Amino acid sequence: MSRRLLLLGLALCCIGPASAEPRIELSAGPAWKGWTRPGRTTEIDIRLQSDVETRASLDVATGRESVGAAVELQPGRVARLQIAIRSAPASAVSVRVTPGPPTARDVTLAQSESPLLGVALATGELVALEGFHALALAADDLPRNASAYSSIDALVIDAPTLVALDQRQLGALVAYTADCGRLVVLDAGAAVQRLLDGARGCGAGAVTSARSLADAKAMLSESLATSMPPTLSLASAGALARPGHAAWNAIAVSLAVYFAAAALALVYLPALPVMLLAPALATAALLALLQGVHPQSQLIVWSEGKSAAPLARYQAWQRFPGIVRERVRVPLPPQLGAAVQPCEAGQAMRFEVDASGARALFAEFETRLFRQVALCYRGTFPMERSIAVAARADGSYVVRNTGGRAWPSGVLLAAGRVHELPAIVPGAAANVAGEARRPAADAALRLASTRIRIDQTAALWALDLSGVAGAPVDSTGWLLVAAAPAR
Amino acid sequence: MNETLASRFAALSGLVLAAALALWWLGSARLAIDQGADAARGSADALHAAWLVRALLVPVLALRVGALRGWRDGAASSLAMVVPSWPVLAMAWSASAVPLGQSLLAEGFLVVAAIVLPLLGHGLRRVVPRSELAEPIASALGVALAAALWLGHARWAFSSAL
Repeated sequence: MSRRLLLLGLALCCIGPASAEPRIELSAGPAWKGWTRPGRTTEIDIRLQSDVETRASLDVATGRESVGAAVELQPGRVARLQIAIRSAPASAVSVRVTPGPPTARDVTLAQSESPLLGVALATGELVALEGFHALALAADDLPRNASAYSSIDALVIDAPTLVALDQRQLGALVAYTADCGRLVVLDAGAAVQRLLDGARGCGAGAVTSARSLADAKAMLSESLATSMPPTLSLASAGALARPGHAAWNAIAVSLAVYFAAAALALVYLPALPVMLLAPALATAALLALLQGVHPQSQLIVWSEGKSAAPLARYQAWQRFPGIVRERVRVPLPPQLGAAVQPCEAGQAMRFEVDASGARALFAEFETRLFRQVALCYRGTFPMERSIAVAARADGSYVVRNTGGRAWPSGVLLAAGRVHELPAIVPGAAANVAGEARRPAADAALRLASTRIRIDQTAALWALDLSGVAGAPVDSTGWLLVAAAPAR
Repeated sequence: MNETLASRFAALSGLVLAAALALWWLGSARLAIDQGADAARGSADALHAAWLVRALLVPVLALRVGALRGWRDGAASSLAMVVPSWPVLAMAWSASAVPLGQSLLAEGFLVVAAIVLPLLGHGLRRVVPRSELAEPIASALGVALAAALWLGHARWAFSSAL
């Protein structure tokens, strides 16, 4: 009898916690009505609700990448996260929430081979543009992550939809325009115009405002006829990095020492135990040596802008050299974590994002000796460089600082040559003459010369990255500004 | 060749083999680092080559020395051929994606072969007491074993490639 009571008590004890498991409601929907393009980035909008206060662990997996977030759930309140994901060929995203029985939702993405035109009009009208697949969008279909704008190739939006966007959506749209995204605003008011004026990149060629839908279509066609400056490929910034040889050097020296010691032992101590023990001890010592080596990551930032433009576009590349076979979890610089992805598409990686899904905090990946896992970041930052250059008959250049802030010294790229550029205070001018050199000697100068037209003049400065929180000690950056012709 | 000399010669051969392997692996790894590529493929190749070369040498050496000098010397010479590569292999494994179990199994196989095959040589000497006859038979057996291993390996590699 007492045994039965004990069993009953145990059963009740176990049923108690099981019935207290939180009931999680999960819904997930993609941005752009589920449309994206192969190899681009899109966004999943996730809504979570629980009947009790709990901490949920969210996991979004797509291809070989996954994104995780820890979410505090309050009863009766919907937690929303917008997570940027890479468009995968499988086009299936699963969202999983623990604790308790996993709740999963599959999100299907449609990958368009044609360029995508987003049409976000309150009237629900659609603009047909030859060669484009047009999508009729509502305000909520627009993403909150700027990187998700890479899914579309052009956007038409009207003022009522623009007003209906929340703060994060507006921020992402502004970042899209700053990143040379093609945008036509229908019936833009003065306030909207001012907002976009402050952010438009690429010499304002990509952002226009129209009075009617027909105007919008014509402007879009006109905008598409002019090509925007090509974005820097992910590998280009990495080409500026110096290969890290510290681990290789340490291992080469250690192996040389081992071979020398083994040869000496063979000559002077030819006993069998020595011959067998020496390699075993050397193996243990080398493995211990690897545990003691901690190579630093390297960060390269390459940024570009036009003279007097308020924003510069950047691409950053961070390499994490591997030493031992392990899974590492590395913190990401907070200012760069908004748009991050592995530089190699096939690299398996897990990102840990903040509670809103807006910023990646950590990256987790498998590493091994000599493996160089690289992360690529992109975005924009405010810039105050205004430069006017006039060529003179004697081959020299008059460079004027037409902005309100002094420059440090840098280099001037003109007619395929490189000249030293002195520091210039606002309003002042300098005569740049003297010995010009070819850009071949320096990787940054070579890259800069490939990023400007042959008839274009530009200045290249080293970037001060001390303001980038969490940047590694070995950080280097450049800012390339295309000059305006002097009047 | 006396027994110490045989062991020293085997150890020297093992050391030279390990040094050649280290040179090749370090060279390929350096090229991979300079090109921003992954050194895993070259490292896996180095592991594979090291195993194959030693697996071909051990039967010949172990059976011959086992038949001529007995089990102890045969095992000592064979192990002295196998073991010097370990530090290089540990580094190459760290840089490769080869599972640890697979690498340990391959090395274990070589160690067991280095211990067991001299016993066969020793047994052969008992069956054929004349050393001038036992030596070529043991050598021929070793070469036959190595050839069988090579053919088996080639067939396995061919079927894996399909």
